[in-house]
Amino acid sequence: MTKLQHNIARANILAKLKQQVAGADYTKLPIETPYHYPEIEREQQISQFITHLTNNHAQVIKTTQAALAEQVADILNTLKIENLLYGKDSTYSQEIEQLNPTVKLQAFDFTLEDKKEHLFNNTPASITSSHASIAATGCIVLWPSKNEPRTMSLIPPVHIVIVDANDLYSDFASLVKAQQWQNKLPTNVLLISGPSKTADIQQTLAYGAHGPEKLFVLLLNS
Amino acid sequence: MSAHQVTPNESKYAASARNFRNNVARDLNNAELRENFHGAMHYLRDKRSAAFPQQDELETLREQCKLIKQRCLAKLPYLLEQLEENLTSNGIKVHWAESTSQANDIIATLIEEKSGSQVVKGKSMVSEETALNDFLEQRNIECLESDMGEYIVQLAKEHPSHIIMPAIHQNKKQVADLFKQNISDFSYTTDVDELINVGRNILRDKFCQADVGVTGVNFAVAETGTLCLVENEGNGQMCTTVPPLHIAITGIEKVVEMLDDVPPLLSLLTRSATGQIMSTYFNMISHPRQIGEKDGAQEVHLVLLDNGRSQAFADEELRQTLQCIRCGACMNHCPVYTRIGGHAYGTVYPGPIGQIVSPHMLGLEPTKDLPTASSLCGACGEVCPVKIPIPKLLLRLRQESVKKQDGNSQVMKGEGVGRSNIEAMVWKAWAGVHRHSSIYNFSMWWLTRLRKLMPSKLGVWTSVRTAPKPAAKTLHERVKKHQSSGAK
Ligand code: SF4
Repeated sequence: MTKLQHNIARANILAKLKQQVAGADYTKLPIETPYHYPEIEREQQISQFITHLTNNHAQVIKTTQAALAEQVADILNTLKIENLLYGKDSTYSQEIEQLNPTVKLQAFDFTLEDKKEHLFNNTPASITSSHASIAATGCIVLWPSKNEPRTMSLIPPVHIVIVDANDLYSDFASLVKAQQWQNKLPTNVLLISGPSKTADIQQTLAYGAHGPEKLFVLLLNS
Repeated sequence: MSAHQVTPNESKYAASARNFRNNVARDLNNAELRENFHGAMHYLRDKRSAAFPQQDELETLREQCKLIKQRCLAKLPYLLEQLEENLTSNGIKVHWAESTSQANDIIATLIEEKSGSQVVKGKSMVSEETALNDFLEQRNIECLESDMGEYIVQLAKEHPSHIIMPAIHQNKKQVADLFKQNISDFSYTTDVDELINVGRNILRDKFCQADVGVTGVNFAVAETGTLCLVENEGNGQMCTTVPPLHIAITGIEKVVEMLDDVPPLLSLLTRSATGQIMSTYFNMISHPRQIGEKDGAQEVHLVLLDNGRSQAFADEELRQTLQCIRCGACMNHCPVYTRIGGHAYGTVYPGPIGQIVSPHMLGLEPTKDLPTASSLCGACGEVCPVKIPIPKLLLRLRQESVKKQDGNSQVMKGEGVGRSNIEAMVWKAWAGVHRHSSIYNFSMWWLTRLRKLMPSKLGVWTSVRTAPKPAAKTLHERVKKHQSSGAK
């Protein structure tokens, strides 16, 4: 389509719509009342978060920052995985680097194009930090960065994510409000509530459709 | 290319919709299909009702979300402009298409400019609407569906029969047979985990190789210039993150004003659709890959499609059609859809939402029978998370399709096509009789006296029912007699 045709399409659509709303008074719109969810205690929020994730086949492990490396080693050991993709200079990179040399650590210090096949075929697991989490729906919020790119939580079959319970919000709406997301959003924000799944064949749930088959949540609760 | 050129696929959908009655007869006689739908709808209805344990929460959210969508529609042209402005300043390029053929042309040009030859597609009903796969195939561009259900449907050379679960009409044995016919080294199994794994392995290779990802959009946020995608499998993320070029396509009604509008809509969408309190993934894209970032599409485009939506917008009652967030709950609860299945409708969108939206996309001529396929039981309107009065709109569309052409401005393309002069006369007479009591009483008296003459066969009506028989005496007569006999 040429630029001219594009402009015509745009002008036609907007003109048709504007003709219908000309003179509308937007100050008189009805009030939209949200539902007020009862406030719940922090401990209850944490257990809500864990229950939802567990129901969705994620494994939640309560731990501390000091014990992180040990926990990760345990997980990898059980799964017989020797390689781990991680982000250099990320929130917990120091703890993760303690896994050396028992685990072969690989930093995501390349662009996707450089190692696409390697990422798809030879990267069994990854570990990332998280930006926040949501109790009401059991979600982990990722805010991928240069250090922890977004394919880390997508391509490897096992994803381990570290969640700090201090960053737990009661629900999505309050998270967006509290952090004023409308002022600045990164390239990509991702909410994750479990390992990848599908029920597309005869409504039978199967995990590991395209994304990770396994999701481990290391919950730091001090 | 002219703006109103009809692509072969538009006419394909129109042709199959025109064939609605035959499609229904065909599918009602398919016992396996009926069983598949029966099981699936039962499952989805149970899941949805379990996800809304509190009626007051559900009703408050429905009212709130209805008002959100109505506000966004009231401001639609301005929000579209704001969305375009913010997306553009975020580095995402916006394109506008009035027709499906324009949209396909835009997408093909974008792909060809990058010499793309392999496209992976996330679930997108709008791209079904434009029949993008067929269009790209004609231009030698492979376009592979990557949602498991869509992948199955594409292998079977079919269309989705449900907007959320595209392959709901197939059972696992049918999927296994399909894989056997189409996948060379498939070792036969009906185990769902194994079947999914087969699909996973094939599609992972494709994600790795693809040069373009095409997806739909669930909400486009004007305030921030953000494209939001809801999904469970991760294929949507693959399509938006792995190939260097991401093209999103959506209808103009998907724009919302603020980020704050998203959480309540999202909550109702996933719960109404599959009974999940939250989908596995919710992906919010605001920029193409920025300097220093190591992955993500380097170029992101959004195609905004009209295709009849502005026609619905022009009428205040019909505009409510555009509130739809495509959750599929109306079809899951529709007794007609459950029995005839999704393919009988012949249109891209089946079930109640399809019945009210397709006439705007294809015109009333091929779709005039669709709004009649309802008992008006009201279930769709009751479950709709944005409170679209679907039964009322079905009645309105029935009226539009038999409306008398009086030269006044047209509300819908194809309005009045179903008008029959005989039917119109019958109803006119009926109205006349009911307006004048003397004529009414006179005709009723005769009708009851001549009840024996009532034919026992009344065309299609008696093909599945017994013919009605007038009573021996009119109700008025009986009441009168009752009163004069002094009964209390
Ligand atoms: S019409 Fe309502 S119930 Fe049907 S798909 Fe749209 S939002 Fe869902």
